[in-house]
Amino acid sequence: MAGSRKSSVRGLFADVRYHGFGIIAGLLFLAPLVWSVLVSFKPSVEARQPPLPPWPVDGFSVQSYDNLAQYGAGIWTYTGNSLMVSAATVVASVIVSLFAGYGFSRFRFPFKNALFVLIISTVMIPFQSILTPLFLILTKLGLQNTLTGIVLVYVTLQLPFSIFMMRNAFDAVPKEIEDAARVDGASVLRVLYRIMLPLVLPGVVTVAIFAFLASWNEFLAALILLTDQKKYTLPVLMAAVRSGQFGTIDWGAVQSGVTLMMAPCLILFLLLQRYYIRGLTAGAVK
Amino acid sequence: MTVTSYEKAKIELRDVRKSFGAVNIIHGLDLSIEGGEFVVFVGPSGCGKSTLLRMIAGLEDVTSGDIFIAGRDVTELDPAKRGIAMVFQSYALYPHMSVRENLAFGLEMARTPADEIERQVQAAAQILKIGPLLERRPGQLSGGQRQRVAIGRAIVRKPLAFLFDEPLSNLDAELRVSMRIEIARLHRQLGNTMIYVTHDQTEAMTLADRIVVLRDGHIEQIGTPREVYEDPSNLFVAGFIGSPRMNIVDAVYAGDSRIKVADAVIPLGQVLYGVTAGDGVKLGIRPEHLRVADPGGTALRAKVDFAEYLGSTRYLYCYLPSGEIVTVEQRDGRDFSSGEEIWLHCDPGRLRLFSAGGDRLRAESPAKVASA
Repeated sequence: MAGSRKSSVRGLFADVRYHGFGIIAGLLFLAPLVWSVLVSFKPSVEARQPPLPPWPVDGFSVQSYDNLAQYGAGIWTYTGNSLMVSAATVVASVIVSLFAGYGFSRFRFPFKNALFVLIISTVMIPFQSILTPLFLILTKLGLQNTLTGIVLVYVTLQLPFSIFMMRNAFDAVPKEIEDAARVDGASVLRVLYRIMLPLVLPGVVTVAIFAFLASWNEFLAALILLTDQKKYTLPVLMAAVRSGQFGTIDWGAVQSGVTLMMAPCLILFLLLQRYYIRGLTAGAVK
Repeated sequence: MTVTSYEKAKIELRDVRKSFGAVNIIHGLDLSIEGGEFVVFVGPSGCGKSTLLRMIAGLEDVTSGDIFIAGRDVTELDPAKRGIAMVFQSYALYPHMSVRENLAFGLEMARTPADEIERQVQAAAQILKIGPLLERRPGQLSGGQRQRVAIGRAIVRKPLAFLFDEPLSNLDAELRVSMRIEIARLHRQLGNTMIYVTHDQTEAMTLADRIVVLRDGHIEQIGTPREVYEDPSNLFVAGFIGSPRMNIVDAVYAGDSRIKVADAVIPLGQVLYGVTAGDGVKLGIRPEHLRVADPGGTALRAKVDFAEYLGSTRYLYCYLPSGEIVTVEQRDGRDFSSGEEIWLHCDPGRLRLFSAGGDRLRAESPAKVASA
């Protein structure tokens, strides 16, 4: 009797410790996000004052969002640019890596492995070191200072990882399933669309999330390759907001920008995390 | 090509070869399979049996030679246009589709009208008793049910021929037996040509009208199960077919229709062609054809190493004086202890003799052998 009470006390203690640690870790991760959101709803004047307490004392206000909306060419222009660039990067990365991954996984062609290693090895080149050649190439192509140009750069940077991811995803699908579909009369494209695509969906989602996050948050290439203020994406706008005017920084506008920028990332991740985690671990274990 | 009913298609392979780079996998095979026949390809791992089946299916390119199905040269045709259906070892069901969708997929690809698809799916479900499973996903089925669905997927296409690639290998022993009987029943019911690849000789012996024994991309023997078991054409077939294996021991042809094995001289009763006295030969005798007998005469002396009790039978593993091990199937219930000396007798008619190179030596005239 005494023993069972002792063990139940020990179990309770373990539970408290387990959940306590989880809650503290969760709070640590959430605190900066919550702080940003709370500050973004402070009136402009209050947002510039020392940050404690973090919540709005003089009532909630959307003044910071109004200020941000009037910045430069207007927040909706930049948000539109960012959405367009990110969506195009996601679509192009997914389509190209889907075909490339399928090809590398399933077809035999000369120098296949060498080509694959070559593609993967481009990850080792620091992106900053090729900015100047990229700028020159885009100028030659007439794509400098265009959103299309920046999308091409983002897709190029995203492809090594995406192709690697998709090849692994296709490798994890037993070849016999594809053989069965061929015997059933499906063409190569039909096999890819009807049979393989649903099976590699976690991989596709992972590629899409990575492409979205990378292009949505990318700053340096957008700053260098885009010169027209109206074509800036949100990270470039945020840098401008953060640098302030005559040394005064509108912290409320900065935090409202941060909130605005992180919202789609969080929503996307929360919606797709189930697939995303399966995608990253696919093929790791039988 | 639309097949309206189960047809009995003849399948012919003419000098079919397959190589991957410089490595030859299939070395110029000729094979003719009659319409409605159940043929089993059997052989050890890596003998090319699955590759050969995949070549017939069109999933593997043919390096040279021709394949005919129902009189039509299909060598260059896509798998779907050959009029075949295939059942894979891993079932290869589409995991994201329900059983019904799995069955219907091939018909959809052939642009079959929806009501006809439904009719075919219901018919296949009835034959295979998978009606209640139609709305389930493959992940919700047991191994046996999955294999039924895989067979169902083959049936609905009403193929000219069924190709089975080790379909029962992933099932447990008990299920394997019942599925084996179901496949045999299916063949009787549908009556069309079936080619079945396995390394399990029980499956080969029980299912086949004819067995094709393959080794290293060559056909070693084609024959009915009885022929390959009782009349193997070489040492490989003799050793491969039958479980436990045929005993193979070294012997010397002593002339006058006699052979010397260990310290015994056994009369063959018939003249052996192709050897002269003093030539080394290999003697093959199945475990069930050796029996424990009284000492003396033409009996072989042996020492029991250990005995395996299997209920109705007992296998004795014995050493001959030459050090070779022979297996004896014994059914009289008598017990033997390890180290016990016994005498083994065999009917000379059951002996199979092979040259040192492994070819069968027959106790018949060469002319008769050639005509057979």
